[in-house]
Amino acid sequence: MSRRGLWIGLSLAAVTAVLLFVLAKGFGRDPHEVPFQLRGKPAPDFTLRRMDTGAPVRLSELKGKPIVLNFWASWCGPCKAEHPVVTMAARRFGQDYQFFGVVFEDTEENARAFAGAPDPSFPQLIDERSRMAVDYGVTGVPETYFIDAQGILRDKVAYPIDPRTMMEKLAALKQPAGPLSEVVR
Amino acid sequence: MTAWVLGLVLASYAPQQAGSALLDPAREARVQALGKQLRCPMCQGLSIADSSSSAARAQMDKVRELVADGKSDPEIRDYFTSRYGEWALLDPPASGMNLLVWLLPLALLVGGGFAIARTMRRPVPAAEAPAPPTEAERPPSDDPYLEAVRAELRR
Repeated sequence: MSRRGLWIGLSLAAVTAVLLFVLAKGFGRDPHEVPFQLRGKPAPDFTLRRMDTGAPVRLSELKGKPIVLNFWASWCGPCKAEHPVVTMAARRFGQDYQFFGVVFEDTEENARAFAGAPDPSFPQLIDERSRMAVDYGVTGVPETYFIDAQGILRDKVAYPIDPRTMMEKLAALKQPAGPLSEVVR
Repeated sequence: MTAWVLGLVLASYAPQQAGSALLDPAREARVQALGKQLRCPMCQGLSIADSSSSAARAQMDKVRELVADGKSDPEIRDYFTSRYGEWALLDPPASGMNLLVWLLPLALLVGGGFAIARTMRRPVPAAEAPAPPTEAERPPSDDPYLEAVRAELRR
């Protein structure tokens, strides 16, 4: 093969390799999956009002215990199925973790009717205009965020969480930061 | 079952909160222009300005809040990309991996055009196939019909 032919062949091979890499990267992921950019970063601070007492809750004052934030709305069907899972986890593990529900794009009246009697182990917070939800990169409900004791956002579950996943994520929150599971919608 | 399916649908498209109040016309135009550049997380290829989903409405409220706070357009785009990645932009910038997507087809086009141009400019080799033998060179045939035709053609 001549030198020129060799160069042309190598160039074509290089372009094809780059093209294949780009295609593999593109086809290898779900185009509807919204990336979770805040993983491993400090959780955005917030001050929200408790739905039951009206008292403000500030994230910056909650450090020291891992936090579970569950975003929900009364108009969201999957949230109804998920709600007992989070409520039971809050009652069982409330000594070691702090659980909060965050009302997303809902009226307070509907949220109160949905949540039922106030549960001190799982306080519900009102997020006016969903400012805090967008700060966290929420794309819809239900979504559950896991923040470690140092205030670092460790993981997110963007589907109705089941008891097994909840247990796994809670256990991971107690572990040192490392590779975390992928988010699946 | 019906309630479950309805719930799934409504989970995406039934906001119960009204959107925030519009700003003055000039700033609201900026809000709408920025909203057109940001991808709705619950929709298929729609901007948050064009979607009525709850998530899009919440994001439009955030855009409005940031514009009201005096943030610049790049700052507002950065706010969303820092949370949702470049996925949030309907028209991602041509940099990094995105640059490859823009440049590769161009490189292939230029390379292909170059190859075609070279092929077109190359002189066509003179009759590579052997020329048909002349009448004089042809060996005489045993076929009387063929010989008669040749004799006729020579006349």
